[in-house]
Amino acid sequence: MLGGVFHAAVLFLVAAGLQLVFGVQKILNLACGSFYALGAYAGVSAVSFTLAAGAPPAVFPAVLVGAGLALALVGPVVERLLRTIYDRDESFQLLLTFALVLMFEDVIRFVWGSAPHQLGNVYLVYGQLRVGGLVIPVYNLVVIAAAGVIAALMGGMLTRTRFGRIVRATAENRRMAEALGVDVSRVYVRVFTLGVALGTVGGALVIPATAAVNEMGIDLIVEAFAVVVIGGLGSMRGAVAGALIVGIMRAVAVATYPEVEMLAIYVVVIAVLVLRPAGLFAKAAA
Amino acid sequence: MITNRRTFIKVLAGAAAGTGARLDVAPALAQAAPVRIGVLAAKAGVTAPVGESGLRGTQFAVDRINAAGGIAGRKVEMVVEEESNPKDTVERFRKLALQTKADVITGGISTAVGLALGPVSEELKALWLAWDATTQKGVEETIPKPRYAFRSVDNEAEAVMASILTARQLKGKVKTVAGINNDYSYGRDNWAAFLAIMKKFGMNVTPVVELWPKLGETNFTSHVAALQQAKPDLVFSSFWSGDAPILMKQAHAAGLTQGTKFVLTTAGGVHESMKKAFTPEGAIMGYNSMYFEAPNASPLLREFSKWHQERFKEWPNYESDHAYFTVVAYKAAVEKASKAAGSKWPTTEQAVEALEGIEVDSLSGRRSYRSDHIMECSYFQGVTTHKNRHDFVTIDPVEVMSTKQIQKPSGTGLYDWINSWNV
Repeated sequence: MLGGVFHAAVLFLVAAGLQLVFGVQKILNLACGSFYALGAYAGVSAVSFTLAAGAPPAVFPAVLVGAGLALALVGPVVERLLRTIYDRDESFQLLLTFALVLMFEDVIRFVWGSAPHQLGNVYLVYGQLRVGGLVIPVYNLVVIAAAGVIAALMGGMLTRTRFGRIVRATAENRRMAEALGVDVSRVYVRVFTLGVALGTVGGALVIPATAAVNEMGIDLIVEAFAVVVIGGLGSMRGAVAGALIVGIMRAVAVATYPEVEMLAIYVVVIAVLVLRPAGLFAKAAA
Repeated sequence: MITNRRTFIKVLAGAAAGTGARLDVAPALAQAAPVRIGVLAAKAGVTAPVGESGLRGTQFAVDRINAAGGIAGRKVEMVVEEESNPKDTVERFRKLALQTKADVITGGISTAVGLALGPVSEELKALWLAWDATTQKGVEETIPKPRYAFRSVDNEAEAVMASILTARQLKGKVKTVAGINNDYSYGRDNWAAFLAIMKKFGMNVTPVVELWPKLGETNFTSHVAALQQAKPDLVFSSFWSGDAPILMKQAHAAGLTQGTKFVLTTAGGVHESMKKAFTPEGAIMGYNSMYFEAPNASPLLREFSKWHQERFKEWPNYESDHAYFTVVAYKAAVEKASKAAGSKWPTTEQAVEALEGIEVDSLSGRRSYRSDHIMECSYFQGVTTHKNRHDFVTIDPVEVMSTKQIQKPSGTGLYDWINSWNV
């Protein structure tokens, strides 16, 4: 179960980026998985550098989050490119963002090479927690907690801050927001960069537990879309619920009947599409 | 200047005649032109490190051959194309054969790609020496009697060797086993071979869980939890890429490496990633056809390991050996056939005949092609140890088995062969 929650935590961060960008900008961003992969590679580089400098393990999560946030600077550049398709058909969005997926794959290959990158024993330095007969890696709990904190901050930001109100207003009615004096172009840049940051931070945070592989984002795109379909497109609460459902469904399937690991997720997706086509939290605001 | 239609046609005719004249002298020129080796190497995804390793082995072979005067006096030139999905790789194979006019094409790691390339190689009558990608389906169904395709060792050979070592070392010590293998023919065939051999050796083991993550999975926390729940005495895995260290890291963090035996048939392919921090001592681990620190390593392997370490800051793995072998086997075959044909450059058919049964020195020792176009070599496996100068595990003692012992003979089914053993 906890393995499922760990996966859900990572999935939430990627899906939340997808949700936010779609909720406000109406862009179906396939490149969300690429930002996750970029964050993972940046995380490896940052922690390797910090290790070489002799920093203690306690700073690694901060270094990883920092690396993820730093990499979010690609957000404004990519957003500038996306401006050309805001008012065009959705197929252009899919084509352009898919092209970005392929381009980022080559960028990764060019910068980091084709071999997987990993962080030796960083995952293990935080130790293990024994609960009953169960051994839980403490780092998994760190990732789950970090995702929880990010979800809470996102929720707080959207509902309690001025910027959050502007974002919600823009998501609700872009023209009205513009008429009321909101600089929508600036909001779009900020929202997109925030969406990118969720992906890059997710990738960076997960890296001690796994390895950075060029295609690691591709599978996650598919799963993030499953999360979005289950939770409801554009809904942040939906992203949390969808990620938990997908993560836990996978874990339960692996533990009980491994053959249906992927099938189980799509059975839920189909059920949601048939019974509640707009998703579980469709009516919630972004 | 072309002034009218008649003049234009004359010019065209002249050009055609010129082309014809050039074509007439082509065979003579070809003797001096470089030999083109088309190479299909994976450059992205989980197979990328393996593709890169094959490319390095090829480069090492080509450099050595050129330094020694080439193949039958002709310099060697590599033309590298990417191995990706079967459809695109088939197109690149066609390009290498038809457009680049490669004399021989080497490469191929993925099972799916191998199954697709075999029939195309036959159709185009293009000589293809695979590095890997030889599953039972390729051997027994899709390309049972190839003429132009030369295949690798049966992919199950490493599972067969690891299973024999498991039976020898752990009989009576394990009662329950679990498998975690990739969800495709290689993973499934390896697990099936392991269970068949356990039965053959009378191990009386019960499989408690079988897990099938897809190739390329990077999160095994749920799988590790399932293994913890099933509490097997032994975990068998044929992971061969970046997934092997991820599994071990997550398994170790969850305490699974304490008390549970591991059999990692092919993790030696990513040996530098198998860090001591999370890979326990006492696991059975395989290096396929080449072990960089083999106790009786030949001067050639020592030279290659040194070259590899100096150039790439890494110790080499087995795919370099498969790739090196394909190039030196081709060289030996061409020179043998050329000698038989009175110093003329051999036709593809003559090269094929010379390749059948050829035996050469490769990085790992003597290697050969059987008459059914399948490789013979030695496999290296052993028990993991932390007592070495590296930050990753190595094996000690090192067990060496010939594919004559661990690969089914020509024309026999894998399981019929296993069942025929006297143990």
